[in-house]
Amino acid sequence: MSMTENSKRDSVMNVSKGRTLKREIMGISLLHILLAGMSLLFMLPFLWMVLTSLKTLAEVGLPEWMPAAFQWKNYPEVFDVIPFAKFYWNSILIASWVTFLQVFTSSLAAFSFSRLNWPGRDKVFLMYLATMMLPGLVMMIPNYQIMISLGWVDSFVGLIVPASFSAFGTFMMRQFMMTIPTSLDEAAEIDGASKWQLYWDVILPLSKPGLITLTIFTFMGNYQSFFWPLVMLKSIDKYTLPVGLLFFDSTRGQTTHLLMAGVTMSVLPMVIVFIIMQKQMVKGIQLGAVKG
Amino acid sequence: MGIGNSLLDIGHSKNLGFEIMLSKKTSNTIAGIAFLSPNIIGFLCFTTIPLVFSMVLAFSNWDLTLHNMFHDEAIKFVGLKNFIRLFQERDFWKFLGNTLFLMMGAPFAIAGSLIAAILLNKDLKGKKSGVFKIILPGAILFISCVMLTLVGMGAAALTILIVGAVGMTLISGILFGQTVYRTLFYLPNFTSGVAVYILWKKLYSPQTGPVNAVLDKPVSVVGNIVNATPSWVLLAGEWLCLLIGLFIMMKVLKSLFNHWKEGDIGSCGLVLALFFVMLPAFFAILWAPTAAMKLAVPAIAVVLLVFHLATDLKTRDFPCTIWHGVGSGFMIAMISLIPMFMFIGFAAAIAHLADITRQTDFSVLPPPEWLASYDWAKPAIMIMGLWMAIGSNNMLLYLAGLSNVPPELEEAADIDGASPFQKFWHVTWPQLAPITFFIVVMTVIGGLQGGFEMARTMTQGGPFGSTTTLSYFIYNEGFATGRLGYSSAISWVLFIMVFSITMINWKFGSKYVND
Repeated sequence: MSMTENSKRDSVMNVSKGRTLKREIMGISLLHILLAGMSLLFMLPFLWMVLTSLKTLAEVGLPEWMPAAFQWKNYPEVFDVIPFAKFYWNSILIASWVTFLQVFTSSLAAFSFSRLNWPGRDKVFLMYLATMMLPGLVMMIPNYQIMISLGWVDSFVGLIVPASFSAFGTFMMRQFMMTIPTSLDEAAEIDGASKWQLYWDVILPLSKPGLITLTIFTFMGNYQSFFWPLVMLKSIDKYTLPVGLLFFDSTRGQTTHLLMAGVTMSVLPMVIVFIIMQKQMVKGIQLGAVKG
Repeated sequence: MGIGNSLLDIGHSKNLGFEIMLSKKTSNTIAGIAFLSPNIIGFLCFTTIPLVFSMVLAFSNWDLTLHNMFHDEAIKFVGLKNFIRLFQERDFWKFLGNTLFLMMGAPFAIAGSLIAAILLNKDLKGKKSGVFKIILPGAILFISCVMLTLVGMGAAALTILIVGAVGMTLISGILFGQTVYRTLFYLPNFTSGVAVYILWKKLYSPQTGPVNAVLDKPVSVVGNIVNATPSWVLLAGEWLCLLIGLFIMMKVLKSLFNHWKEGDIGSCGLVLALFFVMLPAFFAILWAPTAAMKLAVPAIAVVLLVFHLATDLKTRDFPCTIWHGVGSGFMIAMISLIPMFMFIGFAAAIAHLADITRQTDFSVLPPPEWLASYDWAKPAIMIMGLWMAIGSNNMLLYLAGLSNVPPELEEAADIDGASPFQKFWHVTWPQLAPITFFIVVMTVIGGLQGGFEMARTMTQGGPFGSTTTLSYFIYNEGFATGRLGYSSAISWVLFIMVFSITMINWKFGSKYVND
């Protein structure tokens, strides 16, 4: 009696299992098609960008997306039309310096905020946090006046130094360093390590994931930074990529195919960096915001 | 606290530890300040000093056209003059309106991020055998595409290219799961910057851009339909859209007052939520197509509100503190804004289309001029913003939030026989509420300060100031016109707005998490 009932139930279960399996496959397939369709929406502008960059000037105005033949020579031509290589180099140089300095000062400050006990520490940290909420625009005009009085307008120093101190970087590194157990500090202290040794030999190597995330964010943010270079830079050979592209657009905007080649070349490094580093970045974004 | 601790330590270690303790403490302080010094010096030079400087500037009449090497007038303090002038200037209110208008895209973007995250969070791998069944046709599709691409260029090749791209996405999506889609969704946001704005400027180009090339046919079809429809049907359609909007408003008001009665939302939360819920009614005054609608919609909305105020305020089953549930009231209002604005927008769109087809003799309706037209420039920027914002950090935050929803809760809901919608609304959504609150606050803060890069690269703030936001206004006054004092004053007004939002976040953000 119970046996037959059991087998009956089993067979019913199997049938329903088969049905749910089929339904599951259908659902997953639909989901994949939906997601791929959505991805297409996000990709289409980029596809148009690349295809247009491979057109001739005569083809630019045509509604067809596809060029008759790929004009790869557009890419070297960009470098002849505007000092594109210079823009690239300037952007990378400035972004590298800012990143190096910012990561360094941020990690030092974060070490102070997370590992050292000194009176008033948490109050100072709160002040740092509060400035993260300040609109940068409030400080722009005074900062520009400071740059004028220092003679830093139209120079790289004027772009690098003010950007090298970041409340956000300090905050992120502190959040990361707080997760490192304090027993390590005590062990280092017993071994007679100085504070600098504790920072350099113990904490810094352990915060590597945080450092990498901060490095990517800072570098990418400065590679794309627009407002400050736009205000500060006067001579064309000092332009960074965003300012240079704007200059390209306003002076030779009719040569859409070349402009798109320039845009493609400036977007490409970011795409590559993101695809390689996305695991660290996604984690960093989720950690930074959820805990903040 | 620190002193208390060290005193306690001294008590333990008797006379021996006193000196060591003190010296340890001072050495710690010295080290702490030393490690902080590089950062804090920069912080003082480029944040604190400019901040104070800027505040002083806001009360001065420093203007580079008046105070320069040729025309040297003394810089004077003018008290509140800058602020008074600002509030009297019509442009300021217009630009503030532009900024708020562009922010109305945000609810759609957040909803889009949430939907994307929910789709990505689903189990995309399934059973292996099932996966194989999808891979096979996908691979065949892809290979055929590659072969066709090799055959020739032209219009057919584009189709093939697109199909090939989708096929490739599908295959890699099936093989590697959500990472592939996540990357593709996130790229527009990650690469957003001057380069992408220039790209979109070209996409929107009225004559040669692909957006209008794609829209050409559908727009003329819509135009023909509108032309062929009798005008009373159109009018009925407009009324229907507005009435649906009002119906949603009615439902939301009812639910808000229910929450209030049951003690889920305090007085402050109720007032805040009511303010947002009533917003579309006031926008209807601006947007509604006919004078009758301009009058009727706000009137009905006010009647609804007064009715609820009159009937529901008297009785309260479970009272609560004034500040309770501000977050949830805010969220309900935000969610309801999306459909309400949509239906008002539909009504306005129908009327607008009818207007154009009536006025002009075009047999085909011209597609919008986007960035070159006063009316379309803002929607154009909002659409681009949507493209960039759906796969943004918000999506990643939602993904993190979704993976933290305890599976037991969903299973329990399954056993209770909840529909997918019920499951989402009663199980998943409450878990995501704190993240949503955080996202909304951050979006509002970002939105208030935003729009500069787009205005500078795409439209120069035009046509006729229709895309000038507050940040572009500040830039223009400070760096183009040279009115440094005035520009600082505007930036302080912006600061106060951002600051009040931050205060709301600090006061209610943590409370809402506990709800």
